[in-house]
Amino acid sequence: MASVLTVDHVSKSFRTQAERVNSLKELVTKRRRNSDVEEFFALRDVSFEVTEGEAFGVIGHNGSGKSTLLKCMAGILQPTSGSVAVQKRMSALLELGAGFHPELTGRDNVFLNAAILGMARREIAARFDEIVDFSGLAEFIDEPVKTYSSGMYVRLAFAVAINVDPELLIIDEILAVGDVTFQQRCMQKFVEFREQGRTIVLVTHDMGSVRNFCDRAIWLEHGEIAGRGDPTDLVDTYTEKMLADAADGQAMQSTRRGSGEIRVEEVELLVDGQPTTHVRTGDTVVVRLHFASDETIENPVFAITIGRLGGAIVTFPSSRDTGEVPATISGSGTVEVRLADIALIPGPHVLHTEVTGFGRQHVFDHIQNAVSFDVLAGDVRETAGIMTMRPTWALSGPGVSGPSPLV
Amino acid sequence: MSLRTAVAHRNLLYLLSLKELRTRYRKSILGWAWSLLNPISQVVIYSFVFLTVFKATPPVGDPSGLKIFPLYFLTGLLPFQFFSISVTTAIGAVDSNASLIKKVPFPHEHLVYSVVVAQGVTFLIELAVLVVALLLFGSMVLPWIPLMIPLMALMALFTTGVALALAAMNVFFNDVNYLWGIVAQVLFFATPIIYDPEVIDNSVVQAVTNWGPTGSFIRASHNILYDNRFPSAERWLHLVVVSVAVFALGTWIFGKLSPRFAEEL
Repeated sequence: MASVLTVDHVSKSFRTQAERVNSLKELVTKRRRNSDVEEFFALRDVSFEVTEGEAFGVIGHNGSGKSTLLKCMAGILQPTSGSVAVQKRMSALLELGAGFHPELTGRDNVFLNAAILGMARREIAARFDEIVDFSGLAEFIDEPVKTYSSGMYVRLAFAVAINVDPELLIIDEILAVGDVTFQQRCMQKFVEFREQGRTIVLVTHDMGSVRNFCDRAIWLEHGEIAGRGDPTDLVDTYTEKMLADAADGQAMQSTRRGSGEIRVEEVELLVDGQPTTHVRTGDTVVVRLHFASDETIENPVFAITIGRLGGAIVTFPSSRDTGEVPATISGSGTVEVRLADIALIPGPHVLHTEVTGFGRQHVFDHIQNAVSFDVLAGDVRETAGIMTMRPTWALSGPGVSGPSPLV
Repeated sequence: MSLRTAVAHRNLLYLLSLKELRTRYRKSILGWAWSLLNPISQVVIYSFVFLTVFKATPPVGDPSGLKIFPLYFLTGLLPFQFFSISVTTAIGAVDSNASLIKKVPFPHEHLVYSVVVAQGVTFLIELAVLVVALLLFGSMVLPWIPLMIPLMALMALFTTGVALALAAMNVFFNDVNYLWGIVAQVLFFATPIIYDPEVIDNSVVQAVTNWGPTGSFIRASHNILYDNRFPSAERWLHLVVVSVAVFALGTWIFGKLSPRFAEEL
């Protein structure tokens, strides 16, 4: 396959803001200190090639150099070293409606914006109806765009950008605009693009779209390529790394309430008998609670809650549900809760513990956020929702063909 | 550059110029009347200063015989304003389109070209009004109008060169913007617009008003519209050399600096 875009050993450095010279006076007074100017490398020796007809993903968290790379590919920024070669007619969608003028009508802005994106007048005229149609703004097209809502604005801008008829389309995180219907229409357009054999480069931190849409991807971290290859594997590695980083940074503060006659002193998460802070979908997990009591407690009930961090509660089992309630407890001991084959979807999770009386009304001890842990991708590949039902799929009917080459 | 890109770029220039013109007087009640009210108010002010305060005698057009200060003033002011307003607007145009420059790859020089084109259109309208005024006062200016075409073309070249250079440098040093405000004012007085250079017996003034770049243009404009005379061959030669050199220099500076705009804005 022919190469459409070649990024060859590209590095890009910026001088830090403090070092920038903004007036003639500074130019004169700062000249002598030029030797100790500090450079910040936004990209360091990045190389890759995008071939014709493929959908190529670039992932990375904020500040990883994605946007700089995008701007270098688009020709907005010049690499400090290395080179970018584009062999086809390119359209880069960095920000929608960047060239819109609020006082001009939608019609005028379509023409102006398309011209900025490199279209000739005749081409625009030929596609004008299609653009308006796509935006769904036919009745407002002769109003000044300052009267548009932000959604309308973006729709019109996208309609123009997508109709520039590029052979190579570079997109920056703009899939997340407009309402659901419009997003679907955009996605449809991208799929159409691919089917027509055009090339797409998608720069995003939406793992779902990279996974579903891209043939290949690279992962940028601190301006360098941290991984490349199959998007599914790359997204998994990336997600794990991001979750691990997040866990290092911020353990959730746990809080405790209750009358305190019996307390949970320690909570452990065990996989294969080993304490851990991350588990995989499909693992068998043991939650071990170490308790201590000052007096004899009658009919104590232990409970745990597992939920998404800052989100839905997934499960809230108690020892009373399964009838494991001793008549009395005194002193110290452990409770082990075995969770077989956990069906959680990857993401950050929290676990709360609770010890109550048999009636569940009196709370001896409740620890909110006793443990934070991450669920990583395991034996299922789902990314949305809170848990998997371990589905299997069967399609039948005379019109159903064999497997798609896309899978 | 492929043909397709070249066509698209011409279209961009056309639409950007149109945008400049269409949005210029938006939200103002008098609209385009402002483009005439501005020179008219200046005529009134400077005529008062020239004729009433300083009691000066208006220059006499040779061979036209015209002796009307407001007309002399306008034949100098309009081309000068085409130049100075274009440069001021162009400096601002690059700055105010920062978001576009940072987000969309396109030839930045069109921001400057479009300002000059739009200002050129304004100049033409003003010139038409001036010609009507000249005719009303009995000047036989019509046969001389075609000479304004090459003169305006040269002025556009010169103006574009200065505008490109200053707009590009202003991205890096905002001082350029403020400095230009002062320079434009100095140039206004160093150009024979509100006075008759012939009556000033000073070799420096003679040199500046004759061969200073703006002075040279305005003298040619006086020759054509006020005196009804063919500007000298040296004059034309001087204007061609200056315009082409300034345009080439401005284009070169802009070309050198524009790849770094997105980073610096």
